[in-house]
Amino acid sequence: MIAELVLATLFGLLLLGIHRKVIARIQRRPGPPVWQEILHAAKFSFKTTWVPATASRALFIGIVLVAIGIWTAAFFVMMTGGSLLVIFGIYMLHKIVEHAFGLSSGSPYGKFGGVRSVISAASEIPLFVSVAAIALFTRSLTLSDIIAWQQVHGPLLIIAFPAAIAMYLVLLSKMPFGPFSIVEAKELVSGYKTEHFGVWRAGLEVCNGLKTTVLLATFLLLFVGQLPIWWMVIGMVIITVSLSFTCAITPMLSPFDSVTIQSLFTGLMLVYAGIVFLGVAA
Amino acid sequence: MKRSAGKLLAVGGISCGTAFALHWAGWIPLWVFAAVVVLAFPPTVLALFLWWMAGEGKEDIPFIGY
Amino acid sequence: MSSIGGVPFYILEFGDELVYFTPYTITLFLLALVFTVLVILSRPERQVDIAFGGDAYTTKQILKDEMRFRRFMSIACGLASMGAMVTGDIFNFTLFTAMVGITNVGIVAAVKSPHVQNAAYQYGLVALSATVPLFGAAAVYAASTGSLSMIELARGTLPAVPIIAKALLVIGVVGEGMAPFYAAKAEMFRAPGAPYVIMCSLSSLLIFLRVVEVVMLG
Repeated sequence: MIAELVLATLFGLLLLGIHRKVIARIQRRPGPPVWQEILHAAKFSFKTTWVPATASRALFIGIVLVAIGIWTAAFFVMMTGGSLLVIFGIYMLHKIVEHAFGLSSGSPYGKFGGVRSVISAASEIPLFVSVAAIALFTRSLTLSDIIAWQQVHGPLLIIAFPAAIAMYLVLLSKMPFGPFSIVEAKELVSGYKTEHFGVWRAGLEVCNGLKTTVLLATFLLLFVGQLPIWWMVIGMVIITVSLSFTCAITPMLSPFDSVTIQSLFTGLMLVYAGIVFLGVAA
Repeated sequence: MKRSAGKLLAVGGISCGTAFALHWAGWIPLWVFAAVVVLAFPPTVLALFLWWMAGEGKEDIPFIGY
Repeated sequence: MSSIGGVPFYILEFGDELVYFTPYTITLFLLALVFTVLVILSRPERQVDIAFGGDAYTTKQILKDEMRFRRFMSIACGLASMGAMVTGDIFNFTLFTAMVGITNVGIVAAVKSPHVQNAAYQYGLVALSATVPLFGAAAVYAASTGSLSMIELARGTLPAVPIIAKALLVIGVVGEGMAPFYAAKAEMFRAPGAPYVIMCSLSSLLIFLRVVEVVMLG
């Protein structure tokens, strides 16, 4: 399982590289090679590193450990078919991790990025909860139960299409250069990660790689079901490319608009959940 | 710094490896193995990076603008 | 219960001091614990303010007395969140949630900035009024099912929980610091001193995560 963990991290970084390449080609730029994000992580890990003089030292370093730790836990939960709620909890905790990354250094840019991450959490998290609407169909929130249910009744992508859209928006919110990536907007230099450089940034890259793999694989398991490993890989690449298209052709929203649009979708999801609930109850 | 990072790397690597071997042999359940890896993997990764990085710099104030 | 947060590892049934650990609640509990330990260990950040247009910058210092009070409040907040994560009793859950609201105001109350004070006051008003639906929900739970134990509710032998009780519970938790009432809370993050203000957002998001599980029981 340790080899899988390392491979998942590298594969996630490769997906982020593909994401950058596709965006660049759509915008008629050559773009970096697809393995650029892996090289990035390696490059940062070799650099001279220190902790900023104004930083809260224990938090500054500790949060990098927490960031990698929570996604390692999420990886195990996903691999063993554990509770979807745990993955959801870890996704939420990632918001706090971004918040802590931004606030721990004393930098004003990081601080704004961190505050934006908490504000967007207010709209993203209810969006993720709306995926719980699928529990009305499957009667369970355990991934293995949901996979088993799909083997009998067919993929949830068709049966609970609006829930898939909500989860897709969650994925989109987590992709860099997307319409909802307000936490790392260029007016904030690099947002919450401005002051985490060198080894700390390499640690963050490891977390990002793992996070990308876990979220995309969870999406596939949740809405398509268990697939052979090569089909999983192909499916994840296809989802990444579709996300890249969305990111390439949409501008980044202002923080206010980003929260409004996500809240709007949450409202629609609540209506959908209500309809499903009444349909199931009737 | 580099010396302690190297030690931490060795400890982390050995604990992950031991947990994997014990789980593979069926001596410990999966959740114990997972708990060990979740606790040991992040420090191991950071220790690896701190061990092979170029060197420690003098601490500075945060970036305040171009 | 096993289909929501996983199979419970451990249940302590001791009157209304009901505690249980499922994979879900134990994850949340451990994270509250990790951040509380970080609060105890860290020294506060020194927030940098830039004088735009020049090379000048200032850093904010936090006085020792202020730091002590804020650290105490953050640890109290961490303990309240940990309690809310592991309790198996609806009333205890509402009690811990109300305590999280109070300590959140306390964390920033010592900051000498009018913006922060104002935001804390406004947030305090919302949190105060949110306790009415919160405790109301616990009352409706007790009145309609005759039990406040989440273990009993999850067994499915009790009468169904009315939807109004669940709605009141969610409104109460949301009032303690989620989406539409969040504006005042974001202002509170103007306060310098990183590990302490992080507890404000962490605690309210944790109780929100827990309430998702609670409303699915029964």
